[in-house]
Amino acid sequence: MFDIPFLLVLVPGVCLVATVVTAALGPHILGPRSHWPVVVALVIAAAASGVLVVQVHHQALAQWGEGRPADPAAGYEKIVTLWQWASIDDAHYAHQGDRFRIEVALRADPLTAVMLLTVTSVALLVAVYSIGYMAGDPGYWRFFTYVSLFVFSMTMLVSVSNFVLLYVFWEAVGLCSYLLIGFWYQKPAAAAAGKKAFLVNRVGDFGFALAVFLIWTTFGTLNFHDTVDAAGHIIGGVLGQSGLARPEFWYAPGWTLSAICLLLMLGACGKSAQLPLHVWLPDAMEGPTPVSALIHAATMVTAGVYLVARCAPLFVASRDVPPIVAGIGAATALVAAIIALTQTDLKRILAYSTISQLGYMFLGLGAGTLAGVSAGMFHLVTHAFFKGLLFLAAGSVMHAMGGVIDLERFGGLRQRLPITHWTFLIGCLALAGFPLLSGFFSKDEILSAVYERGLDGRDAQWYYVLFWMGLATAGMTAFYTFRAYFRAFWGPERIPPEAGHHAHESPPVMTRPLVALAVFSAGLGAVLWLSGALEQFLEATPSLVFLATHPAPWVYNVVEGHGVVPVAGTLVALAGIGLAWLLYVRQPQWLAQTVRVLHALGLYQFSKGKMFFDEAYQALVVAPLAAFARTCARWDHALIDGLVDAVGALPSTLGRALRPLQPGIVPFYALAMVLATLVLLGAMLW
Amino acid sequence: MADAEVALLVNYLVVGAALVALGAVGFVIRRNLILMFLCAEMMLQGVSLSLAAWGRYYNDFGGQILVLFIIAVAACEAAIALALVLVLFRRRGSLDVMAWQELREAELPPVVDREIPEMPAEPPPAWPSLPPAGRTPCVPREETEFRPHV
Amino acid sequence: MRPLELVLLPGGVALGAVGVWMMLPGAPAGRRAPGILLAVAGAALVAAGLPGLGDPLTSALFFVLCGVTLLGAAGTLAFRSPVYAALSFGLSLLGTAGLLFLQGTQFLGVATVVVYAGAILVTFLFVLMLAEPRGRATYDRVGFGPGMAVLCGALLVATLIPTLASMGRKPEGLLRPPPPADARRQGVLASQHVKQLGNELFGRHLVAIQGAGVLLLAALVGAAVLVGQGRTRLPAPRAGQPAQSPGPNQPRPSQGTDIHG
Repeated sequence: MFDIPFLLVLVPGVCLVATVVTAALGPHILGPRSHWPVVVALVIAAAASGVLVVQVHHQALAQWGEGRPADPAAGYEKIVTLWQWASIDDAHYAHQGDRFRIEVALRADPLTAVMLLTVTSVALLVAVYSIGYMAGDPGYWRFFTYVSLFVFSMTMLVSVSNFVLLYVFWEAVGLCSYLLIGFWYQKPAAAAAGKKAFLVNRVGDFGFALAVFLIWTTFGTLNFHDTVDAAGHIIGGVLGQSGLARPEFWYAPGWTLSAICLLLMLGACGKSAQLPLHVWLPDAMEGPTPVSALIHAATMVTAGVYLVARCAPLFVASRDVPPIVAGIGAATALVAAIIALTQTDLKRILAYSTISQLGYMFLGLGAGTLAGVSAGMFHLVTHAFFKGLLFLAAGSVMHAMGGVIDLERFGGLRQRLPITHWTFLIGCLALAGFPLLSGFFSKDEILSAVYERGLDGRDAQWYYVLFWMGLATAGMTAFYTFRAYFRAFWGPERIPPEAGHHAHESPPVMTRPLVALAVFSAGLGAVLWLSGALEQFLEATPSLVFLATHPAPWVYNVVEGHGVVPVAGTLVALAGIGLAWLLYVRQPQWLAQTVRVLHALGLYQFSKGKMFFDEAYQALVVAPLAAFARTCARWDHALIDGLVDAVGALPSTLGRALRPLQPGIVPFYALAMVLATLVLLGAMLW
Repeated sequence: MADAEVALLVNYLVVGAALVALGAVGFVIRRNLILMFLCAEMMLQGVSLSLAAWGRYYNDFGGQILVLFIIAVAACEAAIALALVLVLFRRRGSLDVMAWQELREAELPPVVDREIPEMPAEPPPAWPSLPPAGRTPCVPREETEFRPHV
Repeated sequence: MRPLELVLLPGGVALGAVGVWMMLPGAPAGRRAPGILLAVAGAALVAAGLPGLGDPLTSALFFVLCGVTLLGAAGTLAFRSPVYAALSFGLSLLGTAGLLFLQGTQFLGVATVVVYAGAILVTFLFVLMLAEPRGRATYDRVGFGPGMAVLCGALLVATLIPTLASMGRKPEGLLRPPPPADARRQGVLASQHVKQLGNELFGRHLVAIQGAGVLLLAALVGAAVLVGQGRTRLPAPRAGQPAQSPGPNQPRPSQGTDIHG
């Protein structure tokens, strides 16, 4: 009964139903109970996702048994075609000779199953948390409508089997992000932040669209999976089993594949807030904190990671693009970590931390090996839980402090908010990479994959440098995370006046999700790593199986783990935590001296000012465009409007000129008649 | 013989044309309503002359018959025109056609005569007077002061 | 013959036009008398340019009657006093009647005198009632656009005269040849032409006659209705108070005033 097609349609379907029900009944009928349809739907979706994971696992195992498969045909995928959206019979393409077709098809394979489970479970916990956080807000029902719409879009995004539909839901999640960032739209800062997010994403989406066009012209199809045309020929999908089995295409010289991959990366940069399109994510913190937790930490921003992971064979085959991807990831991670060192807004620190961790994921994906890809996905899963936890805990703090989230205005909240404190601590430890918590395992997997590539093979020196950058970033991550922790929870207790009577622990509806997330943050990593389940599971995805069975010839792939990387990682994390403890708890006067030195060097302002990215964009992009728009407006007003006004004024001018012909004087009219007779007479006689 | 007929025809047509032209000029120039009407009648006369000449030339009674109808219609026109003149005079107390300019375009100013020098007023006539004979008749005051409608 | 015509006819028309213009009521007094002379001169020139009528008696009668008609017409234009203008129009009518007699359409001539004289008498009455008889009113002393009007009239005549003149000189191609003279003597110029006219009128044009009758009746009724409206009943005058004059019957304007709004 719970077969895969049913589950695949159920997960997004139930969220869609919840959206419609909440939107229709929310305003008047449900009111403060608007959360019920959404929570019920998410429970069903999360349960269904869990069952789906189990089912896919069974099916994959049944297909090849234990052990590594020998050819990509053994990867497991199940396609469910719902209906055909578009079909143009005249479209011919030389490679395939078939018409252009878009089908609404969902796919079930391990990558999709992992993403679905992550998204729905985090969404469920965030939704439960929001019941408490958003209580009393006049837009309560609107919030839950948008959240379930978002979950629908995200689950469809990871389930579809077609580039066009992926683009559709890519835009849909961007829309939901805009709606939720600007949820309190009366606040000008929130509305502006929503617009900024949408516009910056638009730059990335432009690249993505170009990539889709190029894919169509290169491959002749837009499906991931293989399809069969009317005559029975198999049309290989871009990432399908027969499509991937075309040896002549891979590793061939040429710029097309590189262009496709770079454009896909551009799209991923926009959605996942990588350099240079990262500027929207810190501003997106204007939205409610559950939104930040769900969308801007756990799910939407991971859509870019999912895209690159899905198209991993393309990236690997294009030879030159993976180092670029890794470079972007590492640079982003480093830059974001530097900026986070000096911020005082707790949510902004967490936002830059998200950017940094996403950079880690791209660093892993950019290694160009199966190990790297599965490491990136592993980090995605663990990051979803501990970053979600951190954001929700920050929301709990903000709730208690009456809306204040500036670290300079409160402190020493250990005793007052015990559950929040302990869950926040667990999240910080996970983020910093403290041994045995989940973040430790996933971060070290990534660094191991990069280290392997840095040992030997093509671009080894580049990866070596990136490894050290990653390591430095890990240290900085630990430092700024615990800086925030110590400032918020240690030291003398300071409560800002806005707190009023709020300054107590949050209600259970908010703390229980925190606890659940803390449990996952703590234990998930160990469980998954020790059992190796995730990597084995992901390997069954057809495109990733390909990476395993057809590794790039220049990659020296060593599959055993390296001992040096976890040790280095642990040392660096402990050093960061220790330094933070020293400066913020033990010897605060050293902190003042350090800041003075950094200030003198100008580094402090550089970091505090977010490296002036926004100012640079304002000067280089926004100001010229605005000037251009103003010029166009003036042009339009003067010329086009002037032309239209002139045309409009023509009849009245003509009328005014002709008016003296009607003076109301009878002899004048008689004279006119005589003149007319004269003209007629002359015309007739001559 | 034919030449004489043609010559007669031509001369009459010229006279008719001259009458029409004079009538048209007079209609435009004169501002007195009654005189404008008379000039219109003059135009009709010119047309009558031409019609009669054509009828004679072609030995066709149609010309004369049409003139008769013109006379009939001119009579109707005279009746209506003079009735209208009367009504208009009642409203404005003047026979000037320039007194009626309300149908001009809204933005145009009315045409107002420039001042022309007044003609000197005639001295009242000095009639010889006789001493009254007989008694002064009793006439009710209303009759002397009240002038009935015209 | 041709070049003479070319000079005489347009020259005559021009001269006559200038003369008429000088005669107009708006002109200063010194100009009006020479205007008459110029107009007469112009008419004479035009007459000289047209083909002659052959028979000297007919010619003489024609020119005299023509002169009377045209002088009367010019008088209607020129006189300041509306009384004189109406009278001169009557004179012009008489001239026209004479011309119609000369044509051989005696019935028309008599009809003209009878009907038009009656109409003109009525008009004369109106003039006496309503108008300022001495021509002191502004509107009798000023014309509207005199130059333009005279020019148009002159052009009107000038467009016709060359055609007529060439018709006179070379009627073939412009005119159908006239029926023979004896046919005319039986028809239009018959001694009992009234009988023939009557046959024609009440034979072929009976319905039109009836229509004309109805038209006359309608005009009568219409005139009565138009005039009958707007007569306000005057309130009975109370003892010791002068009767109130009804609104519409305003006093006549004095000389030299502006137009009422």
